[in-house]
Amino acid sequence: MNGIRVTLGRELRAYFLSPLAYIVAALLLVINGLTFGIILSFLNDPRAGIGAPLEYFFGETIFFWLVLLFITPVLTMHLISEERRSGTLEILMTAPITEAQVVLGKFLAALIFYVFLWLPTLSYAGIVAYYHKVDWGPVASGYLGILGIGALFLSIGVLASALTRSQLVAAILTFALLIPVFTFGLFETLTNSQGARTVFSYLNLWQHMGEFSKGIVDTRHLVYYASATAFFLFLATRALAVRKWR
Amino acid sequence: MIEVQNLTRRYGDLTAVDDVSFAIDDGEIVGLLGPNGAGKTTAIRMITGFLPPTSGTVIIGGKDLEEAPVATRRNIGYLPENVALYPEMRVSEYLAYRARLEGMSRAAVQEAIVSVLADCLLEGVSRQIIGTLSKGFRQRVGLATAILHQPDVLVLDEPTVGLDPKQIIAIRELIRQLGSQRTLLLSTHILPEVDLLCDRVVIIDRGRVIAEGTPESLRQSWQGEVVIRLEIKNAVAEASQVLAAVPGVTDVESAGNGCFELRCRPGSDLREEVFRLAVQRQWTLLELALERASLEDIFVRLTTGDAGEVVQ
Repeated sequence: MNGIRVTLGRELRAYFLSPLAYIVAALLLVINGLTFGIILSFLNDPRAGIGAPLEYFFGETIFFWLVLLFITPVLTMHLISEERRSGTLEILMTAPITEAQVVLGKFLAALIFYVFLWLPTLSYAGIVAYYHKVDWGPVASGYLGILGIGALFLSIGVLASALTRSQLVAAILTFALLIPVFTFGLFETLTNSQGARTVFSYLNLWQHMGEFSKGIVDTRHLVYYASATAFFLFLATRALAVRKWR
Repeated sequence: MIEVQNLTRRYGDLTAVDDVSFAIDDGEIVGLLGPNGAGKTTAIRMITGFLPPTSGTVIIGGKDLEEAPVATRRNIGYLPENVALYPEMRVSEYLAYRARLEGMSRAAVQEAIVSVLADCLLEGVSRQIIGTLSKGFRQRVGLATAILHQPDVLVLDEPTVGLDPKQIIAIRELIRQLGSQRTLLLSTHILPEVDLLCDRVVIIDRGRVIAEGTPESLRQSWQGEVVIRLEIKNAVAEASQVLAAVPGVTDVESAGNGCFELRCRPGSDLREEVFRLAVQRQWTLLELALERASLEDIFVRLTTGDAGEVVQ
């Protein structure tokens, strides 16, 4: 536990000291703000159908996914690869700490920073609440979906970072792994086989988010995120244990 | 305290460390010597638990490194060859992080930091960001990290590289102090350092231990030909021939100005004969000295000797 806590503390501190983190935060806010503004003006028009703005925000737009696919590699690329490249891994892994503790500490730091990045969007709910009654259930489940899918994406990023000593390679590898994880489920609408459709539906993240944003919490989705996250983190632990000769 | 048994590490076809065994007693300072690429760093990385060995065991303080990696590593302080630190942290922050990683309590952390900052001459830079420090300072931060949690075993890979002469003296003094209370494995290229600090030397070459012993015993067993240096005032022209005629002298080299180097049979001490000869010939001796084989000579001979390939 001590190893996880200390690693988590150091990584979190490093996030807040790095300019990259602020660039990501700013970008996320700009894109989310624009998306939210467009949704509001769209729903303000009497011709538009009835809907809650936050439901659209979480579930309906591609911007949400573009942002998520972009920020995950940026948040995780340095986590382990940089320790390998600079050589700090040597002094870290000769301290009384296990590979699993290092991986978990770093993953949790990334997850906490990711949550921090989403925190300002709570103000959108506040803005809507100022003018209209907000149904808080779907808002909460929407954030639950963001957390679950974020954990899954970040664990893939941690694995990629454990596989290489180059941050760039780690980022590209993360992206390359995220694309199939994200798009695979989209084949749901392109298959006629009932069995395949069930499988694709289970993996269809876009549809998952749509359900979360409507307030539907399907535990199968959460089990999928949690087990996949655990699997990728386990692989990252194994990858970290491989020490190549320099 | 440290027991290394049949340690082997292969990288594909290359055997970097080949069946290395040695033991280090409590409180001993042992120097690990070898030319570049001899396998020193690989051996040290296996001893500190960074690199898993292909075969063989490392036992530190009675604990097997493979069976109890975390508990065993708690007992080791390690200064790697390339001291890598987190550049965005301040020195005191970094030391606090390391101390907590070692599982020290909050109160002990502050105390330990104050003490190592003083020991490693870092007091002036404790608030400085590590990325802005010079190589010498980083080296000392690395050393501070190694001794922070007061481990019983210290493993230092080239501890004085990159320091200025004044710092080298200070750090050597610190190492000597540390070594009086701890078991210390020191890898270095600087041979006088070994002579100065180490109780015992292990020389490795091409992954194998090729010699082991105190610097003095190595010197004795590997003493090759003996060299006598002498200087004669107003030396006469035939001095060379006269000296060469002394039984046991194999070669005479004249360095001019009456200075000579006599190469003699191994194990002999011909100073007395040379002195008598000088008296007999009424030469005025200005200098008469026996040159000891330096550790450097032994090292060069050992690591270039038997096998064909010459390492530098």
